[in-house]
Amino acid sequence: MRTDLASGPMLKKMFALGTVWLEKAGPDINAINVFPIPDGDTGTNMLLTMQSAMEEANQNQNRSAGSVAKSMASGALMGARGNSGVILSQFWRGLAKGLEGKKSFNGTDFAKALAEASQAAYEGLVNPVEGTILTVLKDAATAAGVSAGTDSGSLLSVMETAIEAARDSVARTPDLLPVLRESGVVDAGGQGLYVLLEGALYYLKGKAKETKYRQPRLIVADLPLAPKTTQMTTEVEVPYGYCTNFVVEGKKLNPQKIKNKLRKKGQSLIVTGNDSLIRVHMHSFKPGEILDYATHLGTLHQIDIRNMDDQYVEFIKMQRERMPKVDIAIVAVAAGDGLFEVFNSLGSTIVVPGGQTMNPSVRQLLQAIESAPSDNIILLPNNKNIIPTASQLESLTVKKVKVIPTKTIPQGIAALLAFNYDLSLEDNVHGMEETIATVRTVEITKAVRRTQLNGLKIKRGQFIAILNDEELIAKGNKTPGLIFEALVRADIEGAEMVTIYYGAETQTTEAEEIAQEIRNRYQTEVEVVHGGQPHYDYIISLE
Amino acid sequence: MVKIVTDSCSGITPELAQEFGISVVPLYVQFGNEVYRDNVDLSTREFYQKLEESKIAPTTSAPGPDVFAEFFTRLAEETDEIVAIMLSQMLSGVYVAALKGKTMVTKDCRIEIIDSTLAISAQMLLVISAARMARSGDGLDQIVDWVRKAIPRIHIQMTFDTLEYLRKGGRIGKAQAFLGSLLRVNPILTLKDGLVYPVARVRNRTKAIDYLVDFVRRLSRIEAMAVEDVTTPEDLEILADRLKGLVSPENFYRSKVDPVVGVHVGPRVLAACVLEAE
Repeated sequence: MRTDLASGPMLKKMFALGTVWLEKAGPDINAINVFPIPDGDTGTNMLLTMQSAMEEANQNQNRSAGSVAKSMASGALMGARGNSGVILSQFWRGLAKGLEGKKSFNGTDFAKALAEASQAAYEGLVNPVEGTILTVLKDAATAAGVSAGTDSGSLLSVMETAIEAARDSVARTPDLLPVLRESGVVDAGGQGLYVLLEGALYYLKGKAKETKYRQPRLIVADLPLAPKTTQMTTEVEVPYGYCTNFVVEGKKLNPQKIKNKLRKKGQSLIVTGNDSLIRVHMHSFKPGEILDYATHLGTLHQIDIRNMDDQYVEFIKMQRERMPKVDIAIVAVAAGDGLFEVFNSLGSTIVVPGGQTMNPSVRQLLQAIESAPSDNIILLPNNKNIIPTASQLESLTVKKVKVIPTKTIPQGIAALLAFNYDLSLEDNVHGMEETIATVRTVEITKAVRRTQLNGLKIKRGQFIAILNDEELIAKGNKTPGLIFEALVRADIEGAEMVTIYYGAETQTTEAEEIAQEIRNRYQTEVEVVHGGQPHYDYIISLE
Repeated sequence: MVKIVTDSCSGITPELAQEFGISVVPLYVQFGNEVYRDNVDLSTREFYQKLEESKIAPTTSAPGPDVFAEFFTRLAEETDEIVAIMLSQMLSGVYVAALKGKTMVTKDCRIEIIDSTLAISAQMLLVISAARMARSGDGLDQIVDWVRKAIPRIHIQMTFDTLEYLRKGGRIGKAQAFLGSLLRVNPILTLKDGLVYPVARVRNRTKAIDYLVDFVRRLSRIEAMAVEDVTTPEDLEILADRLKGLVSPENFYRSKVDPVVGVHVGPRVLAACVLEAE
């Protein structure tokens, strides 16, 4: 099989396999569909759109790639369903434009067609949002363009490059679209496009057979897979309305005019097509009004209206079924945006704000425990004064709560890292408690009043260093001298790993300088982390 | 004599395959248009060199049913019983391909395909034991029965410097829980129910090696043990030195991650695994 040039029949076969591949991934794609509406139908919608495109293509016996692409575009337009389906039909419209008049296409042609497709997809939307199928398509097109320019321009190499770029782009979607990040998923539409192109590539590579006993793999973002409690407890508060889809056939239709007319009547508006055939997709509370307006433009076809609130309820049910149930949930207490993120990124299910001078109440902790998605809870108080409060919880809930008596943030982090996914609650408690002793904590803070500690007089405003939240080990001005005196007292010589969490009032550069000085003086690894904690300029962990 | 078959992701190095008379079906590594048979056309060392030099990210693929059909048919000339112990079907299509390939064999030969639910040296411990049984004259039924019962007695832990390769290749499994860490950590992972699972995290390589040693020491009645590295033979020796006293030398194996698994795990992976006695 030639992999440098593709004809019409080849184009058909490539995307026939792409469609089959997409069908296999359908349920997985549905399950991660959270944007713009978490209705769990992206995979299905894209599949139905592609099936319609393929039907039309199969009716076309013309061997030219341009002609086949045109059939696919019109089939996609007629069969488009939902947001992602309509965007996919835009993709085909652009691709057909790029391949217009071509009997066959090479890598350079494909790259150009992808660029057209990307442009067409953006044009159909009133408010294009990044971190979606649009971004994935754009990134794929850009990479294809670069590849076509540098390489031999073979279709295979251009497609491979484009698909690799699409995969990376899908993995980055949670960075661009916060709702994805919060839900711990990648964009469903982008994932769908990737799977479709990947399937087409399998055919081009002569690996159609392999797909029979394989499953498309969902792209995983660089995000921890933690059950998202917000999503599990959220009730439908804001109704979503109706997902409204139809095709208008008429004369001298003006997509731009229709778009302008409808844009205020709902969300997620897409208008696509030409002067005789137009597809409209939008989310609206009054689909009747929209249909009423459209009947004045021409005849309506393929009218499809769905109640998205019903879909959402179904979606949540499906999510619950697919949600990885955690055996043990970890609830931690921390103050400061950086430390919050650190605990989250390391797998705490819930982080309760609190710490020195701002101890959380029994009620706050109890709420966190009740909303955690498990009956077994490990609680990390991370402060001496919170331990007594935490200890009361065991008797206040039917859940099994174990408190690890962590007195400092580094103790809490060490315990969290030692959490073993393979062990029971009891064994974990034992293992986590053991690690507390392996870490030494140095806290640098300013004395808020005159006081006496370990027999030492401290003036107001003087800086002090405390070891393991109990022993005063140095005092003086806030200088590197004070910090190093404290580190020596805390036996830095015996440490393999030093982590510096710098506070809200501390400059990054200052923390970095101290880290460098530690590296110069001692044989130890040093990591600097933004803690953002109040009161403590530095919390330093020695392991 | 029963012939033992496995795939190239089983941690069976060409040397071990020869020593134990095991037939290995290679998977493939592709750099763009260049296709290499795993551990045949490309060694682990050559692979990592290529990985550094190449601009194209490598991909992997499993041989199709036709390849297995041909492979089994050829083997069927020497034997009438074949046991194939394959890579977890949750990680690769190789098991299903072998199953389909088996149905295409017309020669009169009993073929049993087993999903090990494991990979690398964990799978290897099964394969070597099966090969030893075959040598001592055990039949297909005995071997298959032993292997199926032995799978839950295999324990493996691996340490990674980065999970990026597992993530990109889509094999991260439940260890996704360890992604996105804001602290530099060395994750310890295992294989369970055919998938990659998280175990725990430590702060540096030294602690990671300590963790692997502790993991093995906590297990009692060690029948066989293997250690495996990719690009860090020095660390492998450190680990081997600390563990070798726990088992007799003939039941202690050193293995190396093959290029196909290498694509999905990246450099610096270090693993220890144990077959517990019944």
